[in-house]
Amino acid sequence: MRLPALKLGALSAIGMVLVACGGSSSGTTQSLASDQTLKFPIFGEFGTLDPGQLDAEVDSEIAQNIFNGPLRYDNNLNIIPDIATDVPTTSNGGISSDGLTYTFKLRKDVTFSNGDKVTAKDMIYSWNRAAALQGPYGSNLSAIAGYSAVTKYTKGLKPSKKADVTAKAAFNKTVEDALAANDPKVMMTGLTSPDANTVVVKLDSAAGWFLSAVTLESTTGMIVDQKVIQTTPRDWWTVPATLVGTGPFKMTQHTAKQSADFVSVPNWWGSPKPTLKAVHLDILDPSSQSTAIASFEQGKYDIVGYGGWSSQPKADILRIQQTANEKSQLLLQPKVRTTWVSFNVNPAHPAGGPFTVDKGQKAKDLRTAFALAVDKSKLQSVVCQNITCSAATGGLITKGLKGYLGDGTDPLGKFDATKAKQLLTGADPTGTLTAGLKYSYNTGSPNDDVATFLQDQWKTNLGINVGLDPHPDATAFINDRQAGKFVLARDGWQADYDHPQDWFDNLWGKMAEDSTANTSGYAPNASDQYNVLLTKADAEPLDKALPTYKQISELLSTDVVDIPLYYSVGQFLFKPYAKGAGTNNFFDHFWNEISILQH
Amino acid sequence: MLTRGTLVYVSQRLVLIAFTVVAVSSLVFVGIHRLPGNAFVSERVKGAKLELLLHEYGLDRPLLVQYQEYATNALFHADLGESFVNRGLKITPLVLRELSVSAEVGGTALIVTIGLGMLLGVVAAVRQNTWVDYLLTSISVVGYSMPSFVTATFLLLVFGIWLANVTGGALEYPIGWTGTYGTLAELSVPAFALGFPFASIVARLTRASMLEVLRQDYVRTARAKGLRERVVIIRHGLRNALIPVTTILGPLVIGIVTGSVVIETIFAIPGLGKEFVESILRHDYNIVIGVFTMYAAMVGLANLAVDVAYTVIDPRIRY
Repeated sequence: MRLPALKLGALSAIGMVLVACGGSSSGTTQSLASDQTLKFPIFGEFGTLDPGQLDAEVDSEIAQNIFNGPLRYDNNLNIIPDIATDVPTTSNGGISSDGLTYTFKLRKDVTFSNGDKVTAKDMIYSWNRAAALQGPYGSNLSAIAGYSAVTKYTKGLKPSKKADVTAKAAFNKTVEDALAANDPKVMMTGLTSPDANTVVVKLDSAAGWFLSAVTLESTTGMIVDQKVIQTTPRDWWTVPATLVGTGPFKMTQHTAKQSADFVSVPNWWGSPKPTLKAVHLDILDPSSQSTAIASFEQGKYDIVGYGGWSSQPKADILRIQQTANEKSQLLLQPKVRTTWVSFNVNPAHPAGGPFTVDKGQKAKDLRTAFALAVDKSKLQSVVCQNITCSAATGGLITKGLKGYLGDGTDPLGKFDATKAKQLLTGADPTGTLTAGLKYSYNTGSPNDDVATFLQDQWKTNLGINVGLDPHPDATAFINDRQAGKFVLARDGWQADYDHPQDWFDNLWGKMAEDSTANTSGYAPNASDQYNVLLTKADAEPLDKALPTYKQISELLSTDVVDIPLYYSVGQFLFKPYAKGAGTNNFFDHFWNEISILQH
Repeated sequence: MLTRGTLVYVSQRLVLIAFTVVAVSSLVFVGIHRLPGNAFVSERVKGAKLELLLHEYGLDRPLLVQYQEYATNALFHADLGESFVNRGLKITPLVLRELSVSAEVGGTALIVTIGLGMLLGVVAAVRQNTWVDYLLTSISVVGYSMPSFVTATFLLLVFGIWLANVTGGALEYPIGWTGTYGTLAELSVPAFALGFPFASIVARLTRASMLEVLRQDYVRTARAKGLRERVVIIRHGLRNALIPVTTILGPLVIGIVTGSVVIETIFAIPGLGKEFVESILRHDYNIVIGVFTMYAAMVGLANLAVDVAYTVIDPRIRY
């Protein structure tokens, strides 16, 4: 029996999957491609693009192309003027000699993408709004006089628990109405505008970190359009028509969990003027990263790693490293996260354990033994395969950031199994103190591999059996860690802006105390040396404060608060024709710096 | 056929499906809210800020109050609420759109399952004990022995990477998805990967069923009447052989629906399947409930469709 249908079907099936595509030529010229559309994937839907509420890096990397603040970071992490004409300094009169008053002179030619003109009033509105909303980065404005009064008012707005949930929209509307009415309860007293293009900011106390904090891209220092936000106070950013900013790009289309499109703003006021006409994002699932890399290799995407998604599957990166015509497209970029093991040092914490400060030198020797017994270089090569991390040997602050102590400078970053064993024998000769210890961590990559590695190191180099205490739920783990329920726990911090204050205040300083984030319970009293040094350093300009911050970093090592493990490294793929595309420790290069060359 | 009895039966089943959907979503609502942790994982959202956020979404209220509100909105306004992770994102339009994408992939996979499976089964039966039969039977064994994600990865490697390398990029399967719904080219490989294991099962069943039917007296009579072989096989053989095959379509549809979770992830398809795992991991309660609700409805309706299909294929079956 002849079966033409079968043959036809087979041929059709093959035909369906074979799609003719033009091959990409190697080598590029400097002339621009006719299609100036940048395409890249991101691996999650936007949490929010509202600068007043924005939290995640993945949102910030997109929003930085839509919003501007008075200042911004350049690609080398220097603070430069953006909407302001100059960076305030003491020498140009922008900062008063006592460090309490900052004057921002604003450009007169700045407009929102809808054509509305930007004035000092917009900056004051934006900062008051951000303070009142109390989003994750609200505290970046905490140095401004009147901030705490506004936050007190916001907390008072919280209705009773029996109130209807529709109050969620009402909160934003109440804040918006109060701002529209110039209600003093939501106006920080430290913000004034002597004229339409000048904003004077008075601080409660000198804060050398203030400019760094308000310059943080996409967050509370950015300027938003009151006229637009008043229409839908909570969800204005979700609709392209009302997602209005001052940036070089504006959104034209957004299909949730599928794609988003942006176009350049015609006659944008800033520089460099965008060469790209459009940016297309595919919003994929995090588990589709390997598929996205394959699509990049096929030429569907120009970049992988942008949008805050710089952790790629190791197998793909290893494969690309071994592929002759692709390895030059790979960039391994140190990022801004440090990971360490926290000891519970506070006897008041429920976890207790052998490492608490009340146990004196013995506890300190034990902590040192545990730290020295971990070979951080081996961790870098075995767990990270020299791709995803580098050994943390230069202190708490990640390599490349202000406050980094230098390679090999942190005594706790060293590996010395002999000394570790000696210290252990002296502090716990019978092994009773270290019996039954557990290392707690939230599961996932690379935490599982790190945990197994640590367990092996402590067993091999100290002879101690440390049990593993995996927590599948990250939120529950973080909550328990903050509540001091773990003796030994995975811990870490991702810097927000390039200033040591962001680390020390949030981890063990005054901001941590406010929000119970002080995982290890270190330096609980204001009179502790840590807090004394921190208060001094925070008040000074960065160049003067840096030695004090380094002293604080060294103090953490001396007191053996943690075991530094590794600094994170991001993996990026760039097509050679994506000119200007790149990244630094903190953020992707801005879209208006990128052009697509002929290829 | 669609008799009055069938319509009554369908109506009863629809009511039952509605109850099942409500029961599933209620169970999931309670279950997911009992999990430790919440959606607001952040080093910067703690203490008072976290309380404010929990309150904003009504998560600080008693579970019963939350359920009452959820049920009222879902039943009377078809509103499944808003995502906790993605502020302002409405769940109902999201999951409906994703459901339609999954239905496109699943529907195409079903066509592959039935079409390819029956074709292979019929050919193997007609060419029983020849090399064609042995070849097709071997393919079937390989097909149902391999999980769909293995098939998918293999096809991706062959058509998306190796073929592109061999032809210098002139011929290749375009990896990824370009719009809400896939083009025929985009759809072909995932649908094949999803449908092939089930097609192999259908092929085995069809072959066995066809062999039995082709030995029946009425088939011999049809041949004796001088009917063409094609008419004998398709009209008299295949139609009767389809009845046992139809009985497994229900479980197959469920298999395709659940299999899409993996396939959508591998091919980066913006369907409901990828939402399944991701929303649970992120504690995005409303999406989890929405996804389960949609799956419950889809499985219920698919089974009903199969049951109704019996009456079309076999006139002896009446409801």
